[in-house]
Amino acid sequence: MKEITPQLLEGYLADHMADMRDPQVTNLSRLPMGASRETFRFDLNYTDTAGTAQALKVILRRDPPASNVDSDRAHEFAAYQAIYGHGIPVPRMLLLESDPAPFGGAISLAEDLRGFHNSEYQLQEPEWADRRDYVAQQLWSTMGRLAAVPADDLDLSFTRPATRENTARQELEYWVAFLDRHDVGPEPITRAAIRKLQRWQPVAQKLALVHGDFRAGNFLYDDAGTLQAVLDWEMAHCGDPLEDLAWSMTRTFSFGKDDKRSGLARREDAIRIWEEVSGLTADPAALEWWELFNCVKAQAIWNACSHVWMAGTAANEVIHAYAAWWLHNSQDKAMLELMGKL
Amino acid sequence: MKPTVPHVAGELARRLRTEILPELTGFPANAVGMGAELIDMIGQQWDSAAANLVAENRAFRELLLRGGVMFGDAALTAAGQGADEDLRISALTAGNDRLRAALILLHATIEDSPGDDARALEDAIWAALRDSVCARQIASANF
Repeated sequence: MKEITPQLLEGYLADHMADMRDPQVTNLSRLPMGASRETFRFDLNYTDTAGTAQALKVILRRDPPASNVDSDRAHEFAAYQAIYGHGIPVPRMLLLESDPAPFGGAISLAEDLRGFHNSEYQLQEPEWADRRDYVAQQLWSTMGRLAAVPADDLDLSFTRPATRENTARQELEYWVAFLDRHDVGPEPITRAAIRKLQRWQPVAQKLALVHGDFRAGNFLYDDAGTLQAVLDWEMAHCGDPLEDLAWSMTRTFSFGKDDKRSGLARREDAIRIWEEVSGLTADPAALEWWELFNCVKAQAIWNACSHVWMAGTAANEVIHAYAAWWLHNSQDKAMLELMGKL
Repeated sequence: MKPTVPHVAGELARRLRTEILPELTGFPANAVGMGAELIDMIGQQWDSAAANLVAENRAFRELLLRGGVMFGDAALTAAGQGADEDLRISALTAGNDRLRAALILLHATIEDSPGDDARALEDAIWAALRDSVCARQIASANF
């Protein structure tokens, strides 16, 4: 992969940002965030057109040559822009460069909200025990607010079109196709889950912008536990808001290794908070369908991690082998539980 | 007394965590932390991996033979015959994959088949899959 250096960034910004004179990049470092994209942070100082010194803290995300999800910079950039200003806290997007040539992959720049936490495992430490209920309230109430945003108020032209009637089948077909493209050998449990999901699909109460990876670990929170920004919108799409609720309750995200979902709240409490804020009802059969669906989706992503690792490209990171080994059997186990076979 | 693979792997992972990881920050620290977890998993799975695969393969063959008799299906019967001669993990895994592929076909067929015998075989398939998941449990897994 092309090395991202301060000089490379300074040259690019000087050439492409008309209001930015003499850009200076310092403190450039790579962050340990996620398996699908490379994330860097840096400080940017420049002089604006009025001659005033400006300082920005910036996050850079770069598409790798191979990823465990089918998404790109343009998709996530559009998702952030779509939801920005609609009551869901997200970082402000600054720049999208879709041409892979300048940086060896498409990049996006966004404001860097520093001084906050994003670790899902930090919330499991004893000193955070007194704030876990509050963080749970923050997580599922923010998710409920996202579900309540009318889809018609958002520019969702970046995502595949959906209807209330077809979104479940459409998502299932999409992720089964993704799973098939990342075959890791015959998987009887996953295939049984797919057959069950194919027999019936729920109709969504409403359409909403679905985040697609909304869970502990994908939002920033402050020392009090207040949610500051929702991150990682690369799998965002138009769909059934129950999909996000179900994803956040996936067993593999039980970071406390107990019954608490996302390591924060019992299943019934997560549902209650979400229902109160969204004004929607989590129909039990529909929610169970989405929970099982999300197991198939997750397994497809873990299998894609196997493929990225085995491809041996420059995008191959330790996290790909780790995700493939650590999560696959747990996901099978979660499917057994949801099908009443554990 | 010789150092066993689980012991060496566990100790290596421990030293990575306690001696190397504190010297690092950010992305390199995260990569080394996950590397230590991977080494731990190798150590934990090493001793039982072959035995688990042999047990799985035996259970899957029995199910396929039952399915072959129930449906008069020569292909299922053929898939359920044989035994594991080559005990290398790669060979056992290749055999496991072939058996799982046949099991998927049997499972799909049995789901749509009426009768108590069909339900009993379906239950036995789920029990074998449950045993497989339990045997493959990763000690550090969230679930």
